[in-house]
Amino acid sequence: MTTWDNAQRLRESRKRAGALYARGKRVEKKDATALLEAVIQPGDRVCLEGDNQKQADLLAVALAAVNKEKIHDLHMVQSGVVLPEHLDLFELGIAKRLDYAYSGPQSQRIAKLLFGGKIELGAVHTYLELFARYYVDLTPQVALIAAVSADREGNLYTGPNTEDTPAIVEATAFKDGIVIAQVNEIVDKLPRVDIPGDWVDFVIESGKPFYVEPLFTRDPGAITETQILTAMLAIKGIYAPYGVQRLNHGIGFNTAAIELLLPTYAERLGLKGKIASHWALNPHPTLIPAIESGWVKQVHSFGSEVGMDDYIRARPDVFFTGPDGSLRSNRAFSQVAGLYACDMFIGSTLQIDLQGNSSTVTADRVAGFGGAPNMGSDARGRRHPSQPWLQAGKEADPDSPAALRRGRKLVVQIGETFGDKNVPLFVEHLDALKLATKLDLDLAPVMVYGDDVTHIVTEEGIANLLLCRNNDEREHAIRGVAGYTNVGRGRDKKLVQQLRERGVIRRPEDLGIDPLDADRRLLAARSIKDLVRWSGDLYAPPSKFRNW
Amino acid sequence: MIIIASDKALPPNNTSASTDSWYESSARQRVENLLDANSFNEFIGPELRETSPHLPLFDLPEQFDDGMIVGYGRLDGIPVLVAAQEGRFMGGAFGEIHGAKLTGLLRAARDIAWLPVLILFDTGGVRLQEANAGELAIAEIMRALIEARFAGIPVVGLVGGRAGCYGGGGLIAGCCSALAVSEQGRISVSGPEVIETNRGLEEFDSKDRALVWRTMGGKHRRLIGGAEVFADDTVASFRDAARFLIKHAPSMSLEMLEAEQFRLTQRIEQFGTCADAADIWRSLGATKPQSIPALPHPDFVALANDLQEPHYVAR
Repeated sequence: MTTWDNAQRLRESRKRAGALYARGKRVEKKDATALLEAVIQPGDRVCLEGDNQKQADLLAVALAAVNKEKIHDLHMVQSGVVLPEHLDLFELGIAKRLDYAYSGPQSQRIAKLLFGGKIELGAVHTYLELFARYYVDLTPQVALIAAVSADREGNLYTGPNTEDTPAIVEATAFKDGIVIAQVNEIVDKLPRVDIPGDWVDFVIESGKPFYVEPLFTRDPGAITETQILTAMLAIKGIYAPYGVQRLNHGIGFNTAAIELLLPTYAERLGLKGKIASHWALNPHPTLIPAIESGWVKQVHSFGSEVGMDDYIRARPDVFFTGPDGSLRSNRAFSQVAGLYACDMFIGSTLQIDLQGNSSTVTADRVAGFGGAPNMGSDARGRRHPSQPWLQAGKEADPDSPAALRRGRKLVVQIGETFGDKNVPLFVEHLDALKLATKLDLDLAPVMVYGDDVTHIVTEEGIANLLLCRNNDEREHAIRGVAGYTNVGRGRDKKLVQQLRERGVIRRPEDLGIDPLDADRRLLAARSIKDLVRWSGDLYAPPSKFRNW
Repeated sequence: MIIIASDKALPPNNTSASTDSWYESSARQRVENLLDANSFNEFIGPELRETSPHLPLFDLPEQFDDGMIVGYGRLDGIPVLVAAQEGRFMGGAFGEIHGAKLTGLLRAARDIAWLPVLILFDTGGVRLQEANAGELAIAEIMRALIEARFAGIPVVGLVGGRAGCYGGGGLIAGCCSALAVSEQGRISVSGPEVIETNRGLEEFDSKDRALVWRTMGGKHRRLIGGAEVFADDTVASFRDAARFLIKHAPSMSLEMLEAEQFRLTQRIEQFGTCADAADIWRSLGATKPQSIPALPHPDFVALANDLQEPHYVAR
């Protein structure tokens, strides 16, 4: 006879097993590993919360300590592979299969484990794509999450760093999974409820804040004059002519330079109110001068940023805040916002090939994607018009009737022709291809596909790929801004000159920009301390960014 | 006369030269803005292309002035000799030519010019690629500096650049008649990474920048007597400091050396058991030591003068 409630019954038996270690929903820290051994079964899909910012660090340590005779062959479905314990799970044989989106500091070790066959890789996703699969074929049986505080009923306050939690909990709790939360503290009254208590099964008080990486803090002191030049080019050559108001920035120094040029350079160009007003963006400290100067109308965030909480609390007109006054972030919604409601993504990358494909994967580092491929792609399901979107669509396809023509999102790659340690940005073939061959992957890990890229900005100029009519033009538009890299030196000078005459390639002088004006004195803030001053002492930078 | 190349790029915010950040300025901008307008004459300028003989062996780029600018100029009308290190070329590190230019300047101060010397430090120490030549340069500079001071010439060091004042630069600074340092400036011999590598993360976490500045930064150096003047991060403030210190620099004598020895002995007795700079500040009488790193310039100067009068007699 068919039964229809197997998963519900399994959930009840998991809960009963876990209840042996709990008083109500509360489990002591010392019993964390025993709880996990009771609740998790071999082969389970487990989501261990962690992304490029916050980490359920106590639960990661607890899971890495389980007896692998009892718990093994887990299928980890999680945004980030960031903590050493995330990979210890595979080395110890507790976990076997991995589907993930991002790996920063562990990118070298994850590559080794992939090569060594310790990890069976499902796929590397974008955040949004992985969240989507939580609701289709990668639904977690157990979710291990992090929150700031819980009350006696298990209601959670996830606070400024809410991030992935709602997406994970919704998928788990409503499909008969078990949700276990680590919280910094258990309190009588929460500042606000971010996750209702009846979606949460067990709560462990860790006694200290969960780990958060200040990934979105860029020290203005490290911005170079070449980066300032690329920022000037982007502002005058892309933001201004398209009138880009709704956008997302990557985390590189080039885009940090753009943020710091808004109140100075862009102000002098008369662009205030015309560009960069509505953002899907984490609270970048380098955005503070633009906010204080009245450039920024609204910011929705994926997560918070270390040290920015008091500043955000004092600027509720700009940020999304709860009734308690603190930021509410939500990675899933902000990614959707970046995909459908932004007209531009601009970010840096490590390698760009002749077709415009780009990747941050190198031969021995598998960094994953995070959100960039989602931000940095044209949304084919988009239907609402906006000036930049229509104009980009027209440039790409001038001959179709306007009412039937798709618009295009502006997807801009920005960088210096030679990046960190003088490694060329432009390559004939992406290292991602070598990696795909080595690991026998169906897909090479490409961050942004060439057919989504609309512009490439380097210190040599801007290549507008929307105006290219065939592959040869495209290739030479790219070679034409690739400077003295081998790719750049391989250009056909005559073709590049023709592209320049058509405005496909625009040099600094074509835009009326003197490279000698690219001076650090253009930056609205030249140090972290300047940012603190701009914020009225509300920004409290973490120790690693201070020089006082 | 030397035309300063940086003049071409107009300051975009119309900031006047004297309020320019010392930390942000290049060595040439510092010299140009520190001295009276158009008074600087460079010795062995970049047009002579006295470049490092060692760097090409390593396929490393050279700089025509080898990262050291030396010359003569006036500071509020007072004739001075000036040396400035470019921290953005090889971290301002000492090599053979770089060092020889400073040695020559100090010898000229003693033998020919009889003028005060200003050293604008911005250095991570000795250039590893020129190891022996660089180390020898440090020794020669220290000797030339002490000889100049014995001849009655004040040698004043100014520290507030990106690279700080480390390694052999820290030793040379220790030989100067007097030092001015800004909040951003750091003075030490072993750098944070070197200490961490040799003694472990528990001893010194080089990534903890607040710790680095608390231990080696300008405020701490001023409070423990390692620098006489705490300058604001502007060219104008360093200019005031330089003028003041030229006037107040102690002359080199046996009595002065004995007084310095006494000062250092006292210092180790008073602070030798402190585990952290904040403990030192507390034992100096600071009631809220944790607030010191964030204190603005005038407040800190007032507090420092309260806690620890600068010593000009001992150096």
